[in-house]
Amino acid sequence: MSSPQLTNYLRTNRNRLALWQEETAFLLGFKGEDKGGKVCRDEKFTREPSLRSALAYEAIYGRSVRELFAGLYQQIEQEVAERAKLLTYRKAGNQNPKRHQALASLVSRVLHNPSQI
Amino acid sequence: MNQTPLKHFRILAIALSAGGFGFVVMEGQRTIIEFGRRVADGDKNVQSIAKLEKLLDFYQPDVLVLQDVEAKGSRRYPRIKTLNRQVKRMAEKRKIKVKLISGKQLRSLLIGNPRGTKQEMAEMLASQFPDELASRLPAKRKLWKSEDSRMDIFDAMALAVVFNIDCSDSISDTADGR
Repeated sequence: MSSPQLTNYLRTNRNRLALWQEETAFLLGFKGEDKGGKVCRDEKFTREPSLRSALAYEAIYGRSVRELFAGLYQQIEQEVAERAKLLTYRKAGNQNPKRHQALASLVSRVLHNPSQI
Repeated sequence: MNQTPLKHFRILAIALSAGGFGFVVMEGQRTIIEFGRRVADGDKNVQSIAKLEKLLDFYQPDVLVLQDVEAKGSRRYPRIKTLNRQVKRMAEKRKIKVKLISGKQLRSLLIGNPRGTKQEMAEMLASQFPDELASRLPAKRKLWKSEDSRMDIFDAMALAVVFNIDCSDSISDTADGR
């Protein structure tokens, strides 16, 4: 039995460091009265943070973006694999064996063994 | 054995109480995802169910761990017993496995003494998870005082830990591939 990972583990990591949402928002560089609310929405998966914020989360919590957004990463990884599969079927002018190998490994690695963080 | 990495095995432990419920979400045996307490007033059962539904939607656990309030020797209030049945039904409707653990089982597995106290259990858990729980450990209750509400969290944590000690293997062996 296995459940898909949560979209993100921001709240878990914030609790680990005993930070408040307001404090985290300050560290992220959020401004305005509702800055704690933005962190709250990130944690509740109702708002997808920007790349800058995602990297700031990594800096604050000391965990990779991939770990912090494990569920989202898993989902994106699957989508990439699906697209890679389509690309392998396409006849391309580019017959470089490296390309072929890269696509094949991406498909087999991701579709049969999604990332276990 | 049909075991998956325990990190992906999510459990929600609920400890129902007079003022609401305490909860703990864990992935694997050591990772606490979230813990806390939800307060219910007015129609306590209705409110508790609504708040619990939100937690189930959010965390989508594989297993719900509850105290076995119907176990021999259990002296829980009838409202709690009714709520426990409602929660169990709700989980089964969502095809979430439910595991019931009696108070006696909790004490004997956690502190090796079926007549141990909640305080002893809480102290043991606080020492096991110092980062998360040590600061929330209530002071020993005086005889004339009522129980500290934070004890709900420790009760839920005890259920989660005992589930991990005792039952996680059997649950993952009988995987239903939800």
